[in-house]
Amino acid sequence: MDQQGQNGLLTTYREGWRNRSILGLTISLLLVSFYIVLYWEHKVQEQLGVAPFTAFSEAVGLRNRWYLYGFLYSVAMIGGAVYYLRRHGNSRYNRFRITVNVAIQIALGFTLPFIMPLFGGDELYFSYFWPLKYDYLYPQTLADVPLYFALYTVVGSLLAAPVLAVLYGKRWYCSWVCGCGGLANTFGDPWRHLTSKSTKSWRFEHLSIHLVLLIAIATTFLIGLDWLIGSDHPTFHRIISGDDWKDWSIKSFYGFAVGSILAGVIGTGLYPVFGPRVWCRNFCPMAAVLGWVQKVGRYRIKVKPGMCISCGNCSTYCEMGIDVRSYAQADQSFTRASCVGCGMCAHMCPRGVLKLENSWDRPEDKQRQRLSVVDF
Amino acid sequence: MRIVIIGNGVAGMEAALAVREREPSWEISLISEESDHFFSRTALMWVFSGQMSHRDIEPLERDAYARLGLRRVRARATGIDAAKRLVLMAGGLEPVPYDRLLIASGSRPRSGPWTGTDARGVGYFVTLQDLAWYESEVHGGSSRAGGPPRPDAHLPASAADSPYGFREVAAERRGRLAQRPAVIGGGLIGIEAVEVAVTAGLRPRFFIREEWFWPIALDPRESQWIADRMGHHGVDVHLEHEVEMLEADSDGNVAAVRTNEGRYEADCVVIAIGVVPNTSWLAGSAIELDERGGIVVDESLTTSAADVFAAGDCASVRWFDGSQRPEQLWYTARDQGRVAGRRLLGDSPRYERGAWYNSAKLMDIEYTTAGLVNWNLDGEQSWFFEEHGSVRSTTRVVVQQDRVVGFNMLGRRWDHSVLIGWIEEQRSLAWVLTHLNDAAFDTEFVPPLRIPGA
Ligand SMILES: Cc1cc2nc3c(=O)[nH]c(=O)nc-3n(C[C@H](O)[C@H](O)[C@H](O)COP(=O)(O)OP(=O)(O)OC[C@H]3O[C@@H](n4cnc5c(N)ncnc54)[C@H](O)[C@@H]3O)c2cc1C
Ligand code: SF4
Ligand code: SF4
Repeated sequence: MDQQGQNGLLTTYREGWRNRSILGLTISLLLVSFYIVLYWEHKVQEQLGVAPFTAFSEAVGLRNRWYLYGFLYSVAMIGGAVYYLRRHGNSRYNRFRITVNVAIQIALGFTLPFIMPLFGGDELYFSYFWPLKYDYLYPQTLADVPLYFALYTVVGSLLAAPVLAVLYGKRWYCSWVCGCGGLANTFGDPWRHLTSKSTKSWRFEHLSIHLVLLIAIATTFLIGLDWLIGSDHPTFHRIISGDDWKDWSIKSFYGFAVGSILAGVIGTGLYPVFGPRVWCRNFCPMAAVLGWVQKVGRYRIKVKPGMCISCGNCSTYCEMGIDVRSYAQADQSFTRASCVGCGMCAHMCPRGVLKLENSWDRPEDKQRQRLSVVDF
Repeated sequence: MRIVIIGNGVAGMEAALAVREREPSWEISLISEESDHFFSRTALMWVFSGQMSHRDIEPLERDAYARLGLRRVRARATGIDAAKRLVLMAGGLEPVPYDRLLIASGSRPRSGPWTGTDARGVGYFVTLQDLAWYESEVHGGSSRAGGPPRPDAHLPASAADSPYGFREVAAERRGRLAQRPAVIGGGLIGIEAVEVAVTAGLRPRFFIREEWFWPIALDPRESQWIADRMGHHGVDVHLEHEVEMLEADSDGNVAAVRTNEGRYEADCVVIAIGVVPNTSWLAGSAIELDERGGIVVDESLTTSAADVFAAGDCASVRWFDGSQRPEQLWYTARDQGRVAGRRLLGDSPRYERGAWYNSAKLMDIEYTTAGLVNWNLDGEQSWFFEEHGSVRSTTRVVVQQDRVVGFNMLGRRWDHSVLIGWIEEQRSLAWVLTHLNDAAFDTEFVPPLRIPGA
């Protein structure tokens, strides 16, 4: 049966492992260790003489540790999806969204990249775009991949992604397609209430996400420049894209700081501490771009006037730390750049106050009201 | 200008914010016996189950008082000296002087008229202290969400008749948590008290005096569906049971509920037979109360005393049907608080109550109502449709002289503002049925309601 909204009461704060308890922090520690060993396996090998992930993946026929990671990632998403759907699957939006997202991960995030090399092709990810997949717009990458994929990436990153975000909000990507968002919404779901709603965290988000975007654009630009003139300027080339880790080139630094530390170790390892969207909310450059686009597009959360009882379920379960309640109490329909359209605020609301929609026709948005929390 | 507000609930807080927004330098004091921080009373049930923490149900960040320069007095007011413009305080505290005063002291639970209600293990579900008590009976304490803020802060000042006093816990005395709770009173607070007990894995009894659950809002068909859901979740619904007394064991812990139908064992009893204006502390002051205890106010929320206003659950206001009584709702308290804020500023706004609407969640079924439902109007007729399919819902449209006057909807989401618009435009039933989906507020991908023949 399709029901509206949350089915039965949750016991979130009565479950130790879902909160910042010893158990929760232990889970976080394990995740962080997992990522550190995964990313810096060569260091582990120097110390212990074994490369655990590489050895294991070769033993089970997964070629290298990144396929093993992709496999574990998919398994974590499937397990998390079962957990999520048992709680929230009574709503169609949740059911469709999670099913599509998991299917895309299995097909485009794991199976296709694994199979393509068997047929002599490259390992290509159709579900990621620049600037999230930062190297996909590097000229060298575009020159190396098949022409159709280069076109797919350029059109997808620069045209299709923003246009879809104008029409449907960034959710088309962040909550239906993206693997990072998919993991957050499945495996990370038990911790979604931990995302901070404080004004401080909002300020931090503004600063950090735009900083990373700036760095992403600058890095891409410099690498493009290097591709054009690098052969004439060896020092410039070494600084920009010397591939050796020890060189700390701009290119490898971006991969290290953003790709490994922010997206992996912090972004996923700290789910049980800061909630599941640490990366998406604070650092993802793609989210920053799509967020801007979303602000001028059709997507919004519509608020039913005068019906909100200020209970706070929407804000508590917003994984992006948006204080949805402050808009609902002010009878103010809204679009926030960070909103990934997961739909959980509308799902949790016990009074059916909120509705995600795509619409140009929204006269009441113009009469903006005072938000008691935000506007002072 | 010294503004004093008695009550840190939604009415008091909205008024304080409205004043602060325009007058950055006025002195604003909020007196509250119950809590340090403004919180949403509507959300007690989720703290109980563990769905939210105490922080989560506070709409403002905790530094808001400091940031906005709102002074707090955490103590009990015991009366008002309108001639000297003083709020009298319990616990030997200095009286608080005011230039303009707002009373927003909310509701208190209606106490049970039976013998035995003073047994240990008998309580209510209205205040933060009630929540702490009920959690202790059922869970043995609060969740990781933490207990109520500073439980000890006001105790010395609390009077015996305060609704904000802490209660002794039968479970502690007995050395065993409640296993068979009972809830008396078939209304919204009652069903919430039942649902949280279900979530805690118990099988509560639900004593309801009427023929069916919540007759002021539902008809028997609608109510039956809710009762079925309760039964499905393991609630023993006892309809047409008139409670006669509560029995205690030799140690003073509650042991049973006795009704006209028999004796039922119970080791924790929640009385939820309604709320009354929390104004007994005003007895003997110059403030006029109505027969229900509500503070009588005019359309600008002014009481019988000069520069004293009242808003929220404690105020007896003029309804759209002309009657004068309190409105015990969150959104009316919010709206009255905003109007009262402008009164405190010296404006003369009017509080105008529009059409009736409300929503609720009854176990896992969502409910929306708008207009005149269950008012027994002359010649009213109901159009009723029950949807069985991938979505289950009921739709009831009340019609009087071929004009639609009310809607009662279960199982789907509706935009009440659109429904009210149709009532005001005096639409016919046929028109409304063909346009019904324009008011749909369902989440995306939910198939629209299809009415055969419409
Ligand atoms: C369990 C429950 C569920 C509810 N659910 C809903 C719902 O779903 N929808 C809805 O519309 N409404 C609901 N309500 C009703 C709603 O909560 C109230 O209408 C609303 O909170 C009233 O706000 P208020 O500001 O008037 O008073 P309150 O929030 O009750 O605030 C009263 C304030 O006055 C202070 N105070 C009182 N007396 C004194 C004194 N003598 N000295 C000092 N301070 C004093 C208290 O400390 C408190 O701060 C629910 C109520 C309960 C109990
Ligand atoms: S505002 Fe709602 S839809 Fe947007 S991210 Fe938060 S919970 Fe999800
Ligand atoms: S919008 Fe809904 S969930 Fe959010 S505070 Fe209001 S009633 Fe609660």
